Amino acid sequence: MKDIMYKLFLFFSAAWLFVACEPEIEDFEPKAGDADFSSYVAVGNSLTAGMANNELYKSGQEHSFPSMLAAQFATAGGGAFKQPLMTDEAGFGSRFILGMSTDCLGSTGLAPAPFPGEPSPENFASIAEQGPFNNMGVPGAKSFHLLAEGYGQANPYFGRFASSQSASVLGDAMQAAPTFFTAWIGSNDVLNYAYRGGEADSVTPQPLFQQAMGGILQTLTSGGAQGVVATIPDITVIPFFTTVPYNPVTLDETQAQQLNAAYADYNAGADQMGVDYITFSAGANPMVIEDEDLAPIGGIRQIKEGELVLLTLPQDSLKCAGWGTQKPVPAQYVLDEEEIQEITSATVAFNSIIKDYADQFGLALVDVAAVMQEASDESGLRYDGVGYNVEFVTGGLFSLDGVHLTGQGYAIIANEFIHAINDTYGASVPTVSVTEYPGVQFP
Amino acid sequence: MRKLFLLTIAAVAFMLQANAGGFQVGLQGQRQTGMGLIGTGYLTGPSAVFFNPGGMSFLQGQYSFSLGISPIVSTVAFQYEEPSLYEAQTDNPVSLPFSLYGAGKINEKLSVGLGVYTPYGSSTVWGDNWRGRHIVQDISLMAIYFQPTISYKITETLGIGAGFIYAYGDVELNKGFPLQNQNGEEGQINVNGSTANYGFNAGLYFQPSETFSLGVTYRSEIMMEVEGGDATFSVPSSLATMFPETNKFNADLPMPASVNVGAAYGVSDQLTLALDVNYVFWSTYESLDFDFEENTASLQDLSQPKNYNDGAIYHIGAEYLFDETWTFRAGFYYDSPVVPDDYYAPETPDAVKLGYTAGLSFSPNRNLSVDASFLFVQGLERDVNYKPENFGGTYKYFGFVPGIGINYQF
Repeated sequence: MKDIMYKLFLFFSAAWLFVACEPEIEDFEPKAGDADFSSYVAVGNSLTAGMANNELYKSGQEHSFPSMLAAQFATAGGGAFKQPLMTDEAGFGSRFILGMSTDCLGSTGLAPAPFPGEPSPENFASIAEQGPFNNMGVPGAKSFHLLAEGYGQANPYFGRFASSQSASVLGDAMQAAPTFFTAWIGSNDVLNYAYRGGEADSVTPQPLFQQAMGGILQTLTSGGAQGVVATIPDITVIPFFTTVPYNPVTLDETQAQQLNAAYADYNAGADQMGVDYITFSAGANPMVIEDEDLAPIGGIRQIKEGELVLLTLPQDSLKCAGWGTQKPVPAQYVLDEEEIQEITSATVAFNSIIKDYADQFGLALVDVAAVMQEASDESGLRYDGVGYNVEFVTGGLFSLDGVHLTGQGYAIIANEFIHAINDTYGASVPTVSVTEYPGVQFP
Repeated sequence: MRKLFLLTIAAVAFMLQANAGGFQVGLQGQRQTGMGLIGTGYLTGPSAVFFNPGGMSFLQGQYSFSLGISPIVSTVAFQYEEPSLYEAQTDNPVSLPFSLYGAGKINEKLSVGLGVYTPYGSSTVWGDNWRGRHIVQDISLMAIYFQPTISYKITETLGIGAGFIYAYGDVELNKGFPLQNQNGEEGQINVNGSTANYGFNAGLYFQPSETFSLGVTYRSEIMMEVEGGDATFSVPSSLATMFPETNKFNADLPMPASVNVGAAYGVSDQLTLALDVNYVFWSTYESLDFDFEENTASLQDLSQPKNYNDGAIYHIGAEYLFDETWTFRAGFYYDSPVVPDDYYAPETPDAVKLGYTAGLSFSPNRNLSVDASFLFVQGLERDVNYKPENFGGTYKYFGFVPGIGINYQF
């Protein structure tokens, strides 16, 4: 019997030797291909800086797409990547978080609310001596601002890390002697105007954009650097412009009739001018807005479907102060047909200029506009079992300001850059894991 | 030769087939496991209750019993689709398929038997934080079949048999829910439920000579219909009304039908060679649908397309009677994949699987044997994607199944 036990023991021992081995798959090997990532510099605006939730703050910067790219480049010969980090999570103090708030009608719901932390004074102090920096994304910057000397005096986000009073963003970027760059710029050339409902600021004229873009790329490539440029998304895929509907006012039959009676004089005038009446009916109604073209009959009209209302429109004014019905919504909250047309055609033109330059300078191109368009389709985007679309808060791509992305949104953009770089430069840079980063965070 | 047959029976059976396609486990007898999971056309003891009820009336002893367990140690390695450095590996608990059979003769022609066995089951644990967590963090599936069986020897060479199956099934699944709280922690969905249903297992066994036998069996599909299972949602508190914490769900999970054909041939007094082919109707598994009792604007029913294909498993095995005390076995099988490349979800390993088996029996006397088996399953590397969720990469599976059992007849 002992012998038998011994044989069985041997049999199982031999068997368990197999058990110790595990399946192995050949490792992926990152390669730089024809690219040289030893000194990577990112130039751009808030989207490059890592702004999220209406503010630039430390963890947001750490989740900027250039920071993600740099970490991936590091596996393929990339060097150190220095960012002009804020010292805390409050930045300059305008950060939003999602909170519960009660509106004028007494109903409570989720809404963006101020971040509770006070910004450290250190965030406002110069950190220029820590430079040169690799992430030269400056919130608010338009294309031509990158070339402007002394821009730090006009923009505190640059002022805090500009190398001197007279420094330009691009000049400081060149101090890092880039071998590789990303240049994603141009959004503010339309957005700064769009944010203000087309009532202030202006769309950058095309010749100026073309000249600025050319100058930026000429400078960045002057030392032989390779790089990537990216297109800018259309405003119709940005939740800041698409969340509030044109017809948010719900009325019953009586309310509609009272309002119709009140606008009888207006409608008589409208008849004479040959423009549309203001009429209400039971159900959802288009808002009454300001329109200076109609000054003879009071400078107001009803908004048309397709015209855009900004996210900043005070909801309480709409719900409790008669905005959109008894009082017109101020023009600064609305992009009318003409303004949308101006913005859209500029966006198309800028993107075409960006694409032409990508060809001309032999750069990789990321069509962010196309990615965002895809995200706005019904099925949206999907990564690792998580769906993303362009809806405010629930879509997961955009942060609480409705314009800047979440960490996960930036990771999706980072992967688009990586694919473009790999395709253009024969590199094998590994992608990032999108779901590892912060999304919209709920209380 | 009579002697060979006797010894074969003495060695009676436990089999496990390790993870044959989908979440099927094929380990229902040690002797069969040792020779490549073969048993449809080769009678080795009361495990005929499972392998071929038609053969049960050919068992030699008045009463036969067997009992065995086959712990499965399995690992799946994963490498995210290129270009990526992401790798993961399962940390699966050892699962413990078992089988228990008893058979007795009422008269020369008629036998009755009972089997209790676990033909389906898998436990896959990828971890709470791995990259595919929104598809599955961990899943465990388990089915126990209770099968009372009757077998009738129509002639001296032909037997028929059938068993009624009462199947009990249990499933639990955890997956990450992509809603973050203000610490960046994600939510989770847990679903678990159990159910029972009925089916049958029927077979014909033909033994025209002492050296040659043939068998064919059909096992019916059993649909595991979970009704009123628990669905628990952990989400940030502000969203609790949109995702009721305790919800119920209904879901159907098929245990597919199979047709099995096998034959055995005694090459010499000592050596028997055998073949088996299983055809499993996995195409029944088109989607896994979770129908939640309480839906909200944010919580809709879930449908995961599966689109499985039917699969075939080809077995070859040999048994060698060394002497009256020792018997040795070896076998091999080839298991074709049933999950299409674009619908490969990480919850179930599936690939071209090659199974290498070995086994031995020790019979201290004519009535008793102790049977040991070992199976190594190698899943070939597969580059696949679960397209509906855009999650893919390379998977590679290894499974190790040592098994032990005893047979007793008198």
